[in-house]
Amino acid sequence: MDLEFIVEEFPGIWEGVPVTIGLFAWSLFYGTLGGLLLALLRLSRLRGLRAVSAGITWVGRGIPPLIILFIAFFVFPEIGITLERFPTGVLGLALWAAVYQGEVIRAGIMGVDPGQWEASEALGMSGRHYMRRIIIPQGLRIMIPPYFGNAMTLLKLTSIASIVTITEITLLAQRVISFKFVSLEPLLTIAFIYLALNTVLQFAQLGFERAFRLRV
Amino acid sequence: MDWGLIADIFPLLMEATRLTLQLFAGGLVVATIVGLLIALMRQSRFFAMRWLAAVYIWFFRAMPTLVIIFLAFFVVARDWLTFLSPLQAAILGLGAGAGAYKAEIIRSGILSVAPGQWEAAEALGMTPTRRMRRIILPQAVRVMIPPYLSNTVLVLQTTSLATAIGLVELTGLSRQLSNSTFKPIEVMLTAAVIYLVMSSVIVLAQMYLERRLVLKV
Repeated sequence: MDLEFIVEEFPGIWEGVPVTIGLFAWSLFYGTLGGLLLALLRLSRLRGLRAVSAGITWVGRGIPPLIILFIAFFVFPEIGITLERFPTGVLGLALWAAVYQGEVIRAGIMGVDPGQWEASEALGMSGRHYMRRIIIPQGLRIMIPPYFGNAMTLLKLTSIASIVTITEITLLAQRVISFKFVSLEPLLTIAFIYLALNTVLQFAQLGFERAFRLRV
Repeated sequence: MDWGLIADIFPLLMEATRLTLQLFAGGLVVATIVGLLIALMRQSRFFAMRWLAAVYIWFFRAMPTLVIIFLAFFVVARDWLTFLSPLQAAILGLGAGAGAYKAEIIRSGILSVAPGQWEAAEALGMTPTRRMRRIILPQAVRVMIPPYLSNTVLVLQTTSLATAIGLVELTGLSRQLSNSTFKPIEVMLTAAVIYLVMSSVIVLAQMYLERRLVLKV
């Protein structure tokens, strides 16, 4: 292993970090919104809406994320959705995230004891008040661990954006491999970056778990 | 929708699906062996073994599978084990990554076996190996099967990343055909359906086994 080489090549790869973080943050953001929509559709009173949400979830979980990304890149332009490279990558990853976070949000909402609904009705709470004061605080607590589990998977998934030539860290490392004929050093460099980002997410999860823990 | 084109490309895509299934089967076998090994190391009496297993799980769970496949292809197969073909390197990478998840699943299965069973086996004078093989693992398998199979769906989907090291499996061929036929809608949707069928078979197997494995008393 050539430490000097790592130090030399590090700034080049480092330039991809904002792209990796950007891909992750935007697709998590839109994926959460999409997931919320899928979860609400799934809990709708209308059978048609429930079926649509269940169908999307089944398809989204049944095909590889890379195929979802390829659909965003090659199929969407054919049906009139033409975006720049980076937003297309975000779109593909967000679709993946929406499907998985939708399941987490649904499980969180359904995981709140139905007795809570009856109790708040007996207390004369309005539907909105009930959602905001009773369901969301309790549901969030259930959602935090699986939500962060998916977020960590999403962070790792941003690496597949290199296959559609978005210049995030994996693509930059690959370029070093093909131009400089070394492979261990650039791969260890990005391994270290992924480990660091992953650790940040783990701490964020701990923080959220602490903020929402039961106080009795 | 150009159905004629779909009929033309379908046999080609099925041919590529064979490579996908090879990657899947190979990756699953490697992952299961690695997972079992790491899970047993986690239970070891020796601190160094437990520590090594914990580091393995920590590292491979934090790494994108694509990076693991690159490590297997560009580092292991190119510099160290030069006899490995790209297919074998991809299988190694897939298996090494998924093995970390399998290890956690197997470990939680082992831990779910009631402590009384361990004690009873010991009281009967069983050796640790015999106890693990005859008492603990058969009971642990029941608990492991649902998470094992849902992780297996992910292993199937991860095979698509082999396209990044030049293996023309189902995803790689779909991209090539999209470019050469200028009909990405037909090609990508056909590939998506093939994946969906394969994933659904695993999910159905999971549902069937979950029903079958309920303890009958």
